[in-house]
Amino acid sequence: MQETKKTPKLPIKLPEMSYKQQKLFWAIIFLLPWAVGILLLFLVPFIESLRYSFFDLTPQAGEIVKEFIGFENYRYALNTHVTSISSFRVELLTTTTDVLINLPVLLIFSLFIAVLLNMKFKGRAIVRAIFFVPVILNSAAVVSAVGGGEAINAILEQQGIDRIFDLEFYLLQTGMAPFLITFIVGLIERIYDILALAGVPILLFLASIQSIPKHLYEAAKIEGATAYEMFWLITLPNVTPHIITVTVYALVDTFLTSSVSTIISDELNQQNWGLSSAMAWIYVAVIILILIVLGAFAKLLKIGESHYEN
Amino acid sequence: MKTNIIEQLKASYHGVVTDLKDPKKNAKRSRKAKEFSLTFIRSILLIGLCFVILFPTIQQILMALRAPSDVNNPAVIWIPENWSIMNIKIASIVLDYRHAVFNSFKLSAISMILQMASTALAGYAFSRLKFKGSNILFILVILTIVIPPQALSLAQYLYFRGLGLIGKEGSIYLMSGLGMGIRSGIFIYIFRSFFKGLPKELEESAMIDGAGVFRTFWSVMLPNARGALVTVGLFAFVWQWNDAYYVKIFEVSTQQFPLLTMRLINAAENMYAALFYTGGLNLIGQDVWENPVFLALISNVSALLMMLPLLIMYLFVQKQFVESIERTGIVG
Repeated sequence: MQETKKTPKLPIKLPEMSYKQQKLFWAIIFLLPWAVGILLLFLVPFIESLRYSFFDLTPQAGEIVKEFIGFENYRYALNTHVTSISSFRVELLTTTTDVLINLPVLLIFSLFIAVLLNMKFKGRAIVRAIFFVPVILNSAAVVSAVGGGEAINAILEQQGIDRIFDLEFYLLQTGMAPFLITFIVGLIERIYDILALAGVPILLFLASIQSIPKHLYEAAKIEGATAYEMFWLITLPNVTPHIITVTVYALVDTFLTSSVSTIISDELNQQNWGLSSAMAWIYVAVIILILIVLGAFAKLLKIGESHYEN
Repeated sequence: MKTNIIEQLKASYHGVVTDLKDPKKNAKRSRKAKEFSLTFIRSILLIGLCFVILFPTIQQILMALRAPSDVNNPAVIWIPENWSIMNIKIASIVLDYRHAVFNSFKLSAISMILQMASTALAGYAFSRLKFKGSNILFILVILTIVIPPQALSLAQYLYFRGLGLIGKEGSIYLMSGLGMGIRSGIFIYIFRSFFKGLPKELEESAMIDGAGVFRTFWSVMLPNARGALVTVGLFAFVWQWNDAYYVKIFEVSTQQFPLLTMRLINAAENMYAALFYTGGLNLIGQDVWENPVFLALISNVSALLMMLPLLIMYLFVQKQFVESIERTGIVG
C-alpha cells in the first residue's frame, strides 16, 4: 500500500503524454518493485544455482573449493542417486504420473464444489469454513507436530477406533471381487488427498465465480435458461481463464510438497550443494515441460482465453 | 350410502386426475421436486465431505479435552471421562502462546499488505499495461513460480547476511515488498488473470471520462477485482502464518520475537525439553509426563492451537466472497 498511496498526486505533471505513453510510464512504475526484486533476490541466486550445478563443491576450512565437472551432477542424480528407501529418479517419475492423473480430477472436483458453495443454503458459512481447514492444515509445522503423534495413533488402533468402520472387511463379506475392493478403498482414500489439495483451487474458483457480472444471469433467467444451461454457457466460459491458474498452482504445489522436494532439501542439508542444484534444475525442467505441453493443449482447445476480446 | 361413498371417491379421483393434468400445477410440482432433490443431494454430498475433512480434527479435539491422567485410559474412546483444559493450558505455555500469536499476526499482516501491493501492481501491468517485451518479462514470473525455494535460499541467505537482515523481521518484509515473498509469483498470476477477465469497456469509459491510468486502476479496476484481492490477501496471510521455511533460514524467530511455527516445530522435536524449560512440568505429576503418549498429545494440541486463530479469522473473511459489484451501464 505504501507505494500506491504516494502516487495519486505526483509532483511531476504529465500533460504532454498520449494515453499510450502514459500507459508505458505507469507500467514501468507498477513493475518497479517487482523488477528490483527480480534483479536483487532472484536473478543472482538463480544464475548462481545454475553455475553450482556444474561444479563439485566441497566446504574446506572457511572456504568452498570448486571443481568443474560438467554434467556429472546431472548424470549422478538421474542414474546413481539412491536414498535409504528410494531414488531420485523413481520419486520424480511417480510424482509426475501422480500429478497427471490427479490434475483432471482435481480441476473438475474443485470447480464442482465451488459451484455448490456459491449457492445459497443454510449453514453456508460453516461449510465454507470447513473446506478451508485443509488449506490451514497443509503446513510443514502442523505436519511435523501431528506426525509426532504416532504414539497416539498406536493407542487409537489398539482401541479399534482408527477407522469408524472397516470398509475393506465389510466389502469382503459381501463377496465382491478383491480387485474391485482395492479399487474402491483406494478411491476413498484418495478422496481425502484430493480434498487436501483442492482447498486452494476451490477458493480460487469461488472468487472467479463471484466476479462474473450478475446481469448475465439475470438476462439468462429472463430468457428462460435453466440452471444447467447457465452453468455451461455463463459460468464455465467465465471461469476458464482461471483453470490455467489453478493448474499451474496445483502442479507446482504437488511438486513442492512431494518427496522429490524433500530429497533436494536433504542433499542441500548434507552440503552436497552441486548435486542439490542439479536436482533442482531437473525438477524445474520437468515442471516447465509439463507446463509447455499443457499450454499447447490449452491453446489447441482454446481454453483460457478471455471471452472479452482484448 | 354405498353409492354415495363410491361417488365421493370417484369425484376425488377425478379431482386428482384433473389436478395432475393441469400443466401449470405440474410445472410447479416438477420445479419443487427438482429443487428438493438438488438440496437433498447437495446436503448429503457436503455433509459427507465435511465429515471426511473434520473426522481427524474432531478426534484430536476430543483427545485434547481429556484430563492428562486419562491419556491412555482404554475405557475412554470418544467422549472424555474427565473433561479438562489442562492439556490446552500446558500447550499454550509451551508455545508461549500470547506472544507468539501477536508476533505471528504482526508478521503475517504486514507481509500480507506488502505482498498484495507489489503483486497487484505487477499483475495489473502484465495484463492491462502491455508493452513490447512484457510477455518475455512474464516468463520470469513463471520461473519464479516454478523454481523451488531450496534452489535459491543459499544465495539469498548470503545476500541478506551482507545486508545485516538475518535474524530480523525486515528480511521477510523486504521479500514481500519486492514481490519475491512466499509464492508471490502465483499471486501475480492470479491478479493478472482476474484483471484480464474484466471487460475492456470499463477501461475505455474511464478513459473517456478523463481518468488517468492510475485513476483507472485505483478507482475502477481494483474494486472490480475484489475477489482476487480477498483471495490473495487470505492466502498471503495464511501462508506467512504457516511458513516455517523462510522464517527458519532467515532466523526470524528468536527468544524475544517468538513465532508460532518455529515454537511448534522446536517443541515437537523434543517435547520433554520444551516442557522442562517452560515450566510446564510443574503442572502435572511425574507419572503423566513420563508417558510418551502424553508428550505426543501435547504436540497435537499445540498444532490445534496454531490453526485456531486462522479458522476464526476465516469465518469473518468468508463473508467477503459475496456477489460481485454491479457493473451498471456495461453490457458485456
